[in-house]
Amino acid sequence: MISIYDFIETLTTDSGFWNPLIWGVAIVIAFLIVYIIRGFGNKGYKKETEQTKVFLSGNPEYKEEKMHVKASNLYWGFTESLKWVYKVLDKMHTGNVSDYVLWFVIIMGTLFIILGVI
Amino acid sequence: MEIHEIIRIVLTIIIGTIGLAAFGIFFGLLYKGLDRKISAHMQGRIGPPIRQPFRDIGKLFTKENIVPENAVPWIFHLAPLIGLVASISILLYLPIGGFPPLASGYGDLILILYLLIIPSLALVIGGFASGSPYATVGAQREMATMIAYEFPLAIIIVTIAWKLSATTVGGTLIQNSFAISTITSTPVWSVVGPIGFIGLILLLLALIIVTPAELSKIPFDSPEAETEIGGGLLVEYSGRNLAMFYLMDSVKTIVMASIIVALFFPYNLSNLVGLDAGSYPAYTIDIIFYLIKVLIVLVLSVTIIRVAVARLKIDQIVYTYWVPLTLMALIGLICIMWDGQFGLPRIVEMLGLV
Amino acid sequence: MNLETIITHSPALIVAVPLLGAFLTPLVGKINDKLRNVFVILTVGLTTFFVFLLANDIFSSGNIRTYVFGGGTPITDGGFAIRILFEVDGLNAFMAIIASILALACVIYSWAFMKENTGLDKYYTLILLMVAGMFGMILTGDMFNFFVFLEITSISSCVLIAFWTNKGKAVDAGFKYIVISATGALFILFAIAILYSQYNALNMAFLANSIQYTFLDKIALVLLIAGLAMKAGIVPMHMWLPDAYGRAPSSVTLILVGATQVSLYGVLRMTFTLYGSQLTIPLKQIGDTSITMNGLLGITLIALALITILVGVLMALKQTDFKRLIAFAAVGEIGYIVLAIGAGLTAMGTSYGNMAFRGGIFHIINDALDVGLLFLVAGAIYYATKQTSLNQMGGLSRNMKYTTVFFLIGLLAVAGMPPMNGFASKLLIYQSTYQVNPIIAIVAILCSILLLAVFVKVFHSAFLGPKLPKFKDVKDVPKSMLLAMGIIACFIIFFGLFPEFVVNNLVKPAADAIINNTNYITTVIGGAVP
Repeated sequence: MISIYDFIETLTTDSGFWNPLIWGVAIVIAFLIVYIIRGFGNKGYKKETEQTKVFLSGNPEYKEEKMHVKASNLYWGFTESLKWVYKVLDKMHTGNVSDYVLWFVIIMGTLFIILGVI
Repeated sequence: MEIHEIIRIVLTIIIGTIGLAAFGIFFGLLYKGLDRKISAHMQGRIGPPIRQPFRDIGKLFTKENIVPENAVPWIFHLAPLIGLVASISILLYLPIGGFPPLASGYGDLILILYLLIIPSLALVIGGFASGSPYATVGAQREMATMIAYEFPLAIIIVTIAWKLSATTVGGTLIQNSFAISTITSTPVWSVVGPIGFIGLILLLLALIIVTPAELSKIPFDSPEAETEIGGGLLVEYSGRNLAMFYLMDSVKTIVMASIIVALFFPYNLSNLVGLDAGSYPAYTIDIIFYLIKVLIVLVLSVTIIRVAVARLKIDQIVYTYWVPLTLMALIGLICIMWDGQFGLPRIVEMLGLV
Repeated sequence: MNLETIITHSPALIVAVPLLGAFLTPLVGKINDKLRNVFVILTVGLTTFFVFLLANDIFSSGNIRTYVFGGGTPITDGGFAIRILFEVDGLNAFMAIIASILALACVIYSWAFMKENTGLDKYYTLILLMVAGMFGMILTGDMFNFFVFLEITSISSCVLIAFWTNKGKAVDAGFKYIVISATGALFILFAIAILYSQYNALNMAFLANSIQYTFLDKIALVLLIAGLAMKAGIVPMHMWLPDAYGRAPSSVTLILVGATQVSLYGVLRMTFTLYGSQLTIPLKQIGDTSITMNGLLGITLIALALITILVGVLMALKQTDFKRLIAFAAVGEIGYIVLAIGAGLTAMGTSYGNMAFRGGIFHIINDALDVGLLFLVAGAIYYATKQTSLNQMGGLSRNMKYTTVFFLIGLLAVAGMPPMNGFASKLLIYQSTYQVNPIIAIVAILCSILLLAVFVKVFHSAFLGPKLPKFKDVKDVPKSMLLAMGIIACFIIFFGLFPEFVVNNLVKPAADAIINNTNYITTVIGGAVP
């Protein structure tokens, strides 16, 4: 029979442990503390004034569509420094179904050499 | 497990969290002040008084808490809270002075690695949620930086755990090698040979260079980059929300320094001096020694680096971490892996000296 | 009819109910559309009920249940294993649970999601056929039967991928899928023929008992692994997967995730049960080291898995189509499972090897739930905005609050952040594979951060940002779609909060079934085990 104690056991991996419930208790307490600290702060601001406009170093503000940074522009620094990797990967993904089958044959051949011949 | 046992553990965690939150916030701000003072002296300035960060927080609390019109309010408000809460929760898994980690049997190094992501993630999501182009640019840079430094960081953590897992103490292999309590009770320096020693030094250097990026300090602060994108992901934050991020940053400072101390310098003074472990003088001397260790680590890994070097561009940051630093950490890993086969006894044997 | 009778017959019923339901659906559809939807949900619900009943029995007793079609014993007097039989051990029951959760979520989701489409009688028929095929693949203990159900699944899923025929690319994706799965299935059939020609049997347990690991057997193993790995989407044979996942309706994608996992189950079953007794026997002696099959296969799988994780995640990072992005992330997640299996295979018999198996098995269900939830969110966004490109979205968290929360749960789970389920299984994987080689765990940790980056990008570009005028009137999706997402999210949170409970009660029996195949054999072949 399943008892309540089975639910609160710590996940053990022989190399480490993880107990979400203990962490959860800590998180709840910490959240309360932080929430109380935050409560000392000033709540208000002047709604719908110049205050709430986006800071653009004094440049004119664009329409909403143009203010949203698009998905393809994100992580520029990362893709820039790994350009060579992406070049190879793009070359690999041709979208041509005969290439797909070719890869299958290649892997089958490799597996055959590794498992069959050795 | 009995019911009163569970209640005891939960109570310990509750009281411990309250204590650690106070500790983390107070000392985090104190070290922030020290860092500013020391770096000012390095640049030949007088610098602000050490209690300046406390005054900053007080000032921020009196300021208006502006929510920009393009922001998504509930995420915008929640992100700083989550970040601070997560960084406080990491302290539970770290040894502070002579005290063992409070939740030592309930979380390990991988958990700490993942919990360290949450404050940065909160910054990123908060930045994205502000709906400002500057904040978005800053946030995506922070994410790219995070990917970048996580590679050497993962190598460091896994290597240390691997070395411990392959070590025998008293005839048996060490269990729970990812647990902080194992790492502090078996300092890594004591289980390696000479080649492994070089490897460990390389890993320590790598970890010291990872720290400024983890804390968004120069030269890896392109996510904030005040001079280019006006504060980056924090540009729209003000008042108490900004204060939360400020506190998060200071708690994280303590956390990062404690990790370095726990991984590489887990030594305590009390047993050297000859005090009984568990007595009040021993705790006092250990906590003072721990605070000194944290200060040294922070001066080395944050203050000196940020005074000496200028800011890198984001693709340079990714390159720095993924190529030279990863290589350095990998060499450290290889040194430690070869340590068993090519340690000092083996080298002596190969040279024909024995 | 008492409970025991139902449990005894449930292996057959789990396949029979959706199969029968499939062909009744068009008839019910003649009466009323709503009635048909209710009928389909009830059919899948009944199947789920049987699955949970059977799984509960197997996990609590630890027995293996067999169901012989045509009655009697599976082995005739002459020693021939001619009867078709279903054999259910921990692994089968585990996979059946995954398939049933996904199937249930799919039909509930479809109610509102597919409402505006025509030809729904065919849609539901095919969905039920696919579910029946999946359960057949999972439960069967017979090689040829496995092939038949594989074909049923492939053909119905091919049509479902191309269901939105008004979009040319969907038809293209369906065509690619049928080419790929036909090729794969052909080689699997070839492998089955090789085994049959040698041992005169198709029964898995019987084959496992008599397998010799001759040269022909090696060829059969290679064909089986390659064929099933292609269906599971291992890099570099993954390229059909983004096409198929990306173009199919989201509800279909959810079941496709299940079908992919089932192919992976096929790899496990073939390798560990069929060839299980031959795995650790040394093949060759070179110097001091003896080469064993598990070492060779394990290292190969680890290499493939590392490539899979890296390519999947790096490609996901630059996608701008929401569903293609998730599909690439799904490829990466499959890599984690294969990584754990490969590491466990290399270190077979050690305690960390067993732990790696547990991590891999646990990750199968986590992957299915996490990726499934994200696909449902992608479908919800498509339903509300008719957009799939991330470049066209923005600011949706104001209009779609519940969907945003579900996406956040999916994001954290798929990236393996605590306290979600992905963290528990990834923790098991990291903390076992690093003992095989630290590099494996390092790459695994790194890629999990990259996955986080991938989905944070989605979060920003779809849900955050300024209010876009074109999405002013967008509303949150209907209740049935929210309910489907909610079911999966509840499982994610439950698995995340009680990991040890799940590992002990669900994952461990399944992992033990992998590690030791003697029970599987002896259940069928009485005492005839060598």
